[in-house]
Amino acid sequence: MDLFNPEIALENLGPLFAGLWITVQLTLVVIVLSMGFALLVALGGMSRHRPIQWLVKAYIEVIRGTPLLLQLIYIYYVLPEVGIRLDAFAAGVIGLTLNYSAYIAEVYRAGIQAIPRGQHDAAAALGMTPTLSMRRIVLPQAIRIVIPSLGNYFIGLFKDTALVSVVSIQEVVFTAQILAAQNFQYFTLYTIVGIMYFAVSFPAARLVGYLERITRSGYATRRRR
Amino acid sequence: MSGKRAMIEVEALHKHFGDNHVLKGIDLSVAVGEVVCIIGPSGSGKSTLLRCINHLEYPDRGNIRIDGKLAYRDEIDGRYRAHRARDIAAVRAQVGMVFQHFNLFPHLTVMGNLIEAPVHVLRRPAAEARRRGLELLAQVGLSDKADAYPEELSGGQQQRAAIARALAMDPKAMLFDEATSALDPELINEVLTVMRDLAAGGMTMLVVTHEMNFARQVASRVIFMDHGRIVEQDTPERIFGAPREARTQDFLRSVLDH
Repeated sequence: MDLFNPEIALENLGPLFAGLWITVQLTLVVIVLSMGFALLVALGGMSRHRPIQWLVKAYIEVIRGTPLLLQLIYIYYVLPEVGIRLDAFAAGVIGLTLNYSAYIAEVYRAGIQAIPRGQHDAAAALGMTPTLSMRRIVLPQAIRIVIPSLGNYFIGLFKDTALVSVVSIQEVVFTAQILAAQNFQYFTLYTIVGIMYFAVSFPAARLVGYLERITRSGYATRRRR
Repeated sequence: MSGKRAMIEVEALHKHFGDNHVLKGIDLSVAVGEVVCIIGPSGSGKSTLLRCINHLEYPDRGNIRIDGKLAYRDEIDGRYRAHRARDIAAVRAQVGMVFQHFNLFPHLTVMGNLIEAPVHVLRRPAAEARRRGLELLAQVGLSDKADAYPEELSGGQQQRAAIARALAMDPKAMLFDEATSALDPELINEVLTVMRDLAAGGMTMLVVTHEMNFARQVASRVIFMDHGRIVEQDTPERIFGAPREARTQDFLRSVLDH
């Protein structure tokens, strides 16, 4: 009858929060790294040099054509066989970053291509080099366009970090698995984990919705209010 | 043409868009201080010519000189070799361009638009660029709009800001690509007034326009283009008073008759 055991819950709250903290750290590190790496990938995909274009295209297709779970297993269990040994957290960070960068690069590309030709023309006519025009005119506008999509991807990332339990990173799901193996209180433990995920994801999703409204309403909004 | 030094020279310019031969050998020279208006039916190649002069379109054949120097590319044994991006940008920095759809940078305030290129291309100190920006905003009648975003301005105000943005680079010449065509009729005059003042101040201008009264009153020379060729060029008095070519006569009749 007593599916939810408050005593067990209280007892295990400490380790579970420690696991959640690992999950959050992992998410934040991967957000920062993938935002930067994806930009390089996106710009590489639009490069005039064909080999760079092909490399980027191949990378994106391979990542999108295979499961994230397999990618993580590959990095942690297969790479050591060719002499590349990574600790679990590093393997998780690299796997998630490579995976999310492929998708975010496509988001960036769409954002950059959404900037009208007239903006490029105006920048060029003012004597800006293509690099300067990208940095000062195109990217600041493109970033604004892609912020809502990025937000949704990062909420997805937060939940996908559960997959790194497979490489034995002690994030929140892995922690729950270990605890459950000792006390068999599946309902209690996994319910808490579910509440923890939801308690972060739900406000984050609301925040993304808010950002979406702001970015859609023009550049002068803040001052007009 | 006057005996003055040429600021913009175009030699035997050809441009195709696919099978469409848009420019069929254009020769043109604009002297320092001259105001040249290009008129003609849509599709005659006027805008393409202007965009080629700023290297926003790449002509298939022909050369462009800005202030006496061969711009954008070299011709070696009938083949063209593009200049480095930095050198192309340096030539463009000397020629201001005003677009039909203004193309202000929406993420920057009006002042931000004005100082962007002076600070990041010419490396002028921001304070100095801002001071010059305020002068230019006064010149185009937008002194109170320095901190406004483009989206807060009317079309006419946006175009005046765009003119000020181009002037902020202290250009040697200005290109106007149908600068009033996207404006509501009641907003056209405020932009034309700014252009008129600029011409009176001695700016070298090449103006593609549908505003026949502007061409008649302000131009030192009017060029009529049709089907990728310069059909006729002369003083505004002659072009509007006694055009020699039948095509010019037909065009003027069609635009002035209503």
